[in-house]
Order: sequence, then structure tokens, then C-alpha cells
Amino acid sequence: MSLLERQFAFRAEIAAGDDAAPPSSRGMDIYRNAYRSRLLGALEVSFERTRRWIGEDTFQAVARHHVLTCPPTGWSLDDYGSEFPALLAGLFGNDPEVAELAWLEWHLQRAFAAADAPELDPTELGARGYSAEEWAAMRFTMATGFAAAPVATDVIELWEALAEERSGECTVTGHADAALLVWRSRLSPRYRLAWIDELHALEALAGGASLGALAEHHDAARLGEWLSQWLGEGIFSRGSPDHAGGEVT
Amino acid sequence: MSETIPRFAGFGLGLRKEHYRDFLETEQAVDFVEIISENFMACGGRPLRTLEAVRERHPVAMHGVSLSLGSPEGLDADYLAELKALARRIDPLWVSDHLCWTRVGGFATHDLLPLPYTQEALDTCVANLRYAQDVLERPLLVENPSSYVTFSKSTMSEWAFLAELSRETGCYLLLDVNNVWVSSVNHGFDPLEFLHGIPADRVRQIHLAGHSAGLEGMLIDTHDAPVCGAVWQLYARAVERFGACATMIERDDAIPPLPELLAELAIAQAAAALPGIAA
Repeated sequence: MSLLERQFAFRAEIAAGDDAAPPSSRGMDIYRNAYRSRLLGALEVSFERTRRWIGEDTFQAVARHHVLTCPPTGWSLDDYGSEFPALLAGLFGNDPEVAELAWLEWHLQRAFAAADAPELDPTELGARGYSAEEWAAMRFTMATGFAAAPVATDVIELWEALAEERSGECTVTGHADAALLVWRSRLSPRYRLAWIDELHALEALAGGASLGALAEHHDAARLGEWLSQWLGEGIFSRGSPDHAGGEVT
Repeated sequence: MSETIPRFAGFGLGLRKEHYRDFLETEQAVDFVEIISENFMACGGRPLRTLEAVRERHPVAMHGVSLSLGSPEGLDADYLAELKALARRIDPLWVSDHLCWTRVGGFATHDLLPLPYTQEALDTCVANLRYAQDVLERPLLVENPSSYVTFSKSTMSEWAFLAELSRETGCYLLLDVNNVWVSSVNHGFDPLEFLHGIPADRVRQIHLAGHSAGLEGMLIDTHDAPVCGAVWQLYARAVERFGACATMIERDDAIPPLPELLAELAIAQAAAALPGIAA
């Protein structure tokens, strides 16, 4: 058996599911336990509030299932868990706040440690004196850690209740046509609810659409309000008209 | 590539989140800190600002857990690029990782898995280490891990393997005294034979840590307890043989308040200074 074949076999033994044969030795049992407990531990840390919301026994059962069915591929243990919110969405279809809470928890942590990027200075952007045509051609790079997703509940209320350990008093309320936004402004992760049309606008910008393209689908006054809010919140890293040099950060 | 790493005879601690505030707000009596490299690679924001602030006060050693030196599939070029970028930013005392593998077939294991001590494994590690050292433009330190299995195909001891790896690649060694003790109990070898089997002039750092008792007399390298008496005794023998080199306490679980670890570090300083032991 080559070294590579031996490593494939070793990994298969430590990552095996509960229906697999017992470990071949006491030592392999230690490695199998270490593999599982390290990944479980990573999920416990990354989804601490989700864990408190669904309860320890339920969390352990779901996390264990995730460990056995979703092996890690990245070199950083901090990256393990990116697919956990999707698993929760499937398992808790009648309780959408569970997956939404996990999504928020995951993306806030990602934003907290995301690679540094400049933050677009609205004053400097304004000082450029862009023409109407240039504003229409303006494209933006989103702030570091930016993520957005539609939500069906007011998960922020739940998130903050869990932070203050008053989740027992919290009633999860439905929230139609809403979205959750996460990004980092300077060193602080930020989050807020948005309406679904604002989500669509931000997704278009994140995908490279210009302000002019957005204006074809959104009311101009509304778009102006959003732009003012986005710039004030630090939701962009860079901005530049297509055809003009000297992008602003 | 710089071929030599000067000796640095200090005493340090691992920089852990639980102690960030202590290090940021107060001058701590450590000669260096060691970071887990992966915690700060491809990273920004407050964690990186914290590291940079600590770096202004203390030398930093970078200690990795995901290089996967023993992978026949080769090393991850993206990983190495991120590691190099962090090293450029931090200007560390040195960069270290383990004699192990952590990745196969596209999957990460996030555990330091054991190698058979064979010529094939040695050739793999030599090739990977040469590549890593070329990319990083510096010699690395390679640490002995704890292990819980041995391989019947092994043709040499772990210490002979490390000695040959160092001879062929010019790498230095990070001696984990606790790991020597744990593996010696688990596999029934003489830990002093290990200490005498590795080249004294290549050891640049020593790790000290606690472990736990597992079933059937096996020890598990848990880093969740104070250093035990047997490991302190072995440390004294290590200092006799290797002289003054950077020593640190590793604690990764059940992390106590910083003063407790500083008190434990003071024991290491005292042990290293005992007449007849210090180099």
C-alpha cells in the first residue's frame, strides 16, 4: 500500500459514520473521536446562539449529522460550518428563524475577520463632481464581509434577545418580503433588515450593475434614498464610473 | 533563502483570544508569543489589528497546523501564499509546522495525523519541505506530534526520521517535550532515546503542554491541563542537551487566566536556570 493509499484509508476510517465498523485499534478510536469532536467544537463556537435557541440535545444531534455528512475541505477550521445554515433550513422548514439565525451568526463572524478593504468615503465621492452620466455609470464594490439573503422572520429581534439572554421572552414574528444584510464597516460587523427590493438592488450592484441599470427597475427617488443610506452605512468599498479613471475608496 | 535561524533563548506563551485584552492593555512578562498561523491568514479586521498591536511589543513565532508536510499529493500553493503574506506582515522569529499530514483527496482532517517512518514518507516530506522553504524563503521548524498508532512498515524511529529530514532539507526542529512523553508512553519507547536521537544544533524551540489519560493506559495530547511532573523532568533533560532555546507553554483548551500560565512559565524559567542544567 502506498503512502497515499494509506492516507485515504486512514481518513476514511476516522471520518466514517456511525454505521461503519468500529475503529481498528484504540489509537484509531482516539483519532476518530478527535476528528469528530474538533469539528463539533467548531460548530459549537460558530453557532453559539443558534445552539442556545434550539437547545443542546437538538444542536448536538444536528451538528453530529453535519460532521458525518459534510467533511471539511478548507485549511482553516474557522471555515467549517458554511453549509450548516442550509442544513438547518432543510431540517427546520417550519421554523425558518433557526436557519436565519445561523446564517446571521455565520456571516457576522465572517465579516468580523474578513480581509481588510478600504471603505468608500462619501465625502470624497461627492467632491469628485461627477456628471449625471457618470453617476449613471457608477459601479460599486461591496464592503468586506458583505452578505445578503431573504428572510421570513424578524431574526434580528431574536439575535439581540439571545445576546441579552432574554430569548425566553422573545416571540418570533414573521416578516414578509424582508432581507437581512451583513457587512463590515471599519472594524465593526454591521447588520440590518431590508425590504426585498433593496436586496435585489444590492445584489445587482454586487453583481456589477451600474446605478443607471438599477434606475431602470427602481423608482429614482427611492434609489436616491438607498444610495444615501448605503454610503452613510459604509456598505461599499469602492465606487467608480465605468469610463472614468481614479476610482474612489 | 536565509539558511540559518539564530538561537533565541526566551520564554513565551501562545497568544489566545482569551488573553487578547491582557496583552493589549498591559505589558506582559513574556519574551515572545506564538500564534496559530491559520488564525490570522487571509484575515483582517480586529483580529489582525490585535496581532499587529501585540507584535509591536513582542517577537512572534508563527506555528501552523495545516501545511500537511506528509502529503504525497503535494502542498497547497494557495495556503503557502497566504502563509508567506502573513510572514511578510509579521516578520516572525520563525515559521513552524508539524511532521504529519492533514489533507488527502480534497478533504481536510484538522488533526495532526501520523506518518509511517519509511523512505517513501521521508522522500515525500523532504520534497514538500524543500518546496515550502523555497516559497517562504526561509528554513522552517518542524515539530514532532503526539501519536496514537504506529505502522508495521516503519523502518526507522521518529527521531531518526526527524534527524534525516533536517539533514536533507536544512530545516530546524521544534521539540514538543509533552509530545515526546505522550508518544513514548503510547508506543513504549525511551523518551531519552528520542532526545538523544535528534540533532542538538537544530532545535530552536521547545513546547511544553499538558495531556490527559485515555483508556488502556494511552495518553492524549489535549493541551487542556498544566504540565505534569514527568514532562518537567524530561524538559530538564532537554535543556541539558539542547541548551538555551525558546520555550513556551501551549494551552488550547480549558484556558486559565493569564497569570496562571505566567506562573507555569516561571517554572520553566526556573528549571532552565538550575545549576548544571542551563547551557
